[in-house]
Amino acid sequence: MNDTVANPDSNSVPDHDHHQPSGLSRWLLTTNHKEIGTLYLIFSFVMLFIGGGMAFVIRAELFQPGLQFVDPNFFNQMTTMHGLIMVFGVVMPAFVGLANWMVPLMIGAPDMALPRMNNWSFWIMPFAFGMLLSSLFMEGGGPNFGWTFYAPLSTTYAPPSTTFFIFGVHLMGLSSIMGAINIITTIMNMRAPGMTLMKMPMFVWTWLITAFLLIAVMPVLAGCVTMMLMDIHFGTSFFNAAGGGDPVMFQHIFWFFGHPEVYIMILPAFGVVSQIIPAFSRKKLFGYHSMVYATASIALLSFVVWAHHMFTVGLPVAAELFFMYATMLIAVPTGVKVLTGLQPCSKVR
Amino acid sequence: MPSVFAHIKSWSVLTCFLSSLLIPSLSSADLALNMPKGSTPVSEMVYDLHMIILYICVVIAIIVFGVMFWSIFHHRKSKGHKPANFHESTTVEVIWTAIPLLILIVMAIPATEGVFAMYDTEDSEVDIQVTGYQWKWRYQYMGEDVEFFSNLSTPKEQILNQQSKGEHYLLEVDEPVVVPVNKKIRFLLTSNDVIHAWWVPELAVKKDAIPGFINETWTYITEPGVYRGQCAELCGKDHGFMPIVVKAVEESEYLDWLNQKKQLRLAELAKAAAEAEQTWDMNRLMTTGKDVYEKNCLACHQAQGEGLPPVFPALKGSPIIKGEIEDHINIVLRGKTGTAMAAYGPQLSDAEIAAVVTYERNAWGQNDAWKENKGETVQPADVAKLR
Repeated sequence: MNDTVANPDSNSVPDHDHHQPSGLSRWLLTTNHKEIGTLYLIFSFVMLFIGGGMAFVIRAELFQPGLQFVDPNFFNQMTTMHGLIMVFGVVMPAFVGLANWMVPLMIGAPDMALPRMNNWSFWIMPFAFGMLLSSLFMEGGGPNFGWTFYAPLSTTYAPPSTTFFIFGVHLMGLSSIMGAINIITTIMNMRAPGMTLMKMPMFVWTWLITAFLLIAVMPVLAGCVTMMLMDIHFGTSFFNAAGGGDPVMFQHIFWFFGHPEVYIMILPAFGVVSQIIPAFSRKKLFGYHSMVYATASIALLSFVVWAHHMFTVGLPVAAELFFMYATMLIAVPTGVKVLTGLQPCSKVR
Repeated sequence: MPSVFAHIKSWSVLTCFLSSLLIPSLSSADLALNMPKGSTPVSEMVYDLHMIILYICVVIAIIVFGVMFWSIFHHRKSKGHKPANFHESTTVEVIWTAIPLLILIVMAIPATEGVFAMYDTEDSEVDIQVTGYQWKWRYQYMGEDVEFFSNLSTPKEQILNQQSKGEHYLLEVDEPVVVPVNKKIRFLLTSNDVIHAWWVPELAVKKDAIPGFINETWTYITEPGVYRGQCAELCGKDHGFMPIVVKAVEESEYLDWLNQKKQLRLAELAKAAAEAEQTWDMNRLMTTGKDVYEKNCLACHQAQGEGLPPVFPALKGSPIIKGEIEDHINIVLRGKTGTAMAAYGPQLSDAEIAAVVTYERNAWGQNDAWKENKGETVQPADVAKLR
């Protein structure tokens, strides 16, 4: 009863009409991890050129002393937006794109654990960044207070578009948190039979740890910008000393996010390197266990070093010393990773 | 293992020799690429610490990269090398955890001493309160009646490339901070608006100036000279245009200068008091007003009163200008909470405020009657009433 001879393309089971969508619907509604990974990578690439263009404006202006192309206020908008775009719009989405592509493949899973949420995680991004970029054209200009947006420069003394900046950060944070949940759920639940945690590729390990960092600190950033919103619009004084608040508290909260953030950006890269070196040395990764433990130690330590971004704010001397020692300590597991990673290059016969 | 170490030995001997040739030139007095040795005990300590750590890092880099490049090159596939099959070695792991830890402890000891030294603000002989403003510094010598603002003195024409730039482009001010050498000087830092930072590299001093807080730091300058620094915390559009100049002089010169400043201040106060009694005519108000405007208001409200809306509103034709004189004077005296408009009452005298308010109400073509010495004036007495 099968009609494969007469019609070789149809199935022998009753046809359920599995039309693959194409065009806009395909890309808007995809739940496929490879397609979503591609979307992230394309988005990141586009943002790279936008942020890169801003870098060119900065360098063109700074090429010689004096004001040549832009006025100081616009220059500050360029430096701010360049930072925001590169951190949140290029590096993070690029690694998320790589994760979407590689993690299911590397653990033998058919897709991510939460494919529809995966789609939404991506599509939030163009809207968040569209809003952020459009703030450059609003009255008063875009954010001009640096990518670290310290208060009160970013609250009392900021242009009205700051509200949109805050909204953009919230959206982008939501995307990252949902993505991180997805990664952890996928890795913990969908590994192929026999793949214990200590048998996973290093890239998967580094992304597992990165995802925990994301869940831990993106809410802190959200809290930080929400307090800014309150100070700007609702008369609170979180960061205003005259009202009983503390501008330095802003920095503590921001950098409690900010330091793990830079590890969020580098850990996947460490994973990539740990995949590349064994491939090209033609031998297995050396010291797999140490690599995993070292990565976990780095992630853990990253929570207790944030004030090394605040050494001139007037911390008590004991605090300054503590953060100095903790920061030096991170060099140990990092060194272990570098030296371990180099092993495959040596002792070949 | 043995073969690897044999190669390391010859490499490191060679590279150590090469780098030792570079070291003298690297540490010679103030190579432009290096940080300055400076003229204080703290700056020398900072410099020495930096150089030690740099050398340690260079040696480690040479060893690590040396081994890496050699291994990659020597064991390349095209030469027929096959990868060795080892992937664990507890001994090696322990060694390269323990050795970095020891190196860090060796670095941490002088670093800790340094931090304690930088925090010791006791027993100072001169105390100066430094307040960061958008976009200038204010210095008040505690215990002496000397205070002044310090503004960038590079002419706008140089910044706009209409004139060739001077030697100290963007590093010159109208009123430097004068201090005596060989005396411990303590700085008390705060801000009037946003976070600024007071940084003078050759003194190895950098501390944030935070609104609502007072930060302490200190220096002890051993060499007379002029030391230039910059604001080191993004504070708005003219963050790059509010430098710091510290002039360290012999004690006798310092005391003379201090005296001069005191006399000047007394004269200023007397002048302000006298002016406050007088009735000013339109011309005098407009001329003085223009000066005051350019020095204090122009940065935000711009040369023609057009402002940079919405953060810095336009003045020309605005409700404040067209409205009650009292409201106008009040906003200049007390600022506007929740905005970037600072209170100028403490900074400007009655006559200066009267002049600038008159100027703002009549300039930029708003009311040309002033050119014939006519029009509504604001008198110093009006301002005094509202203080």
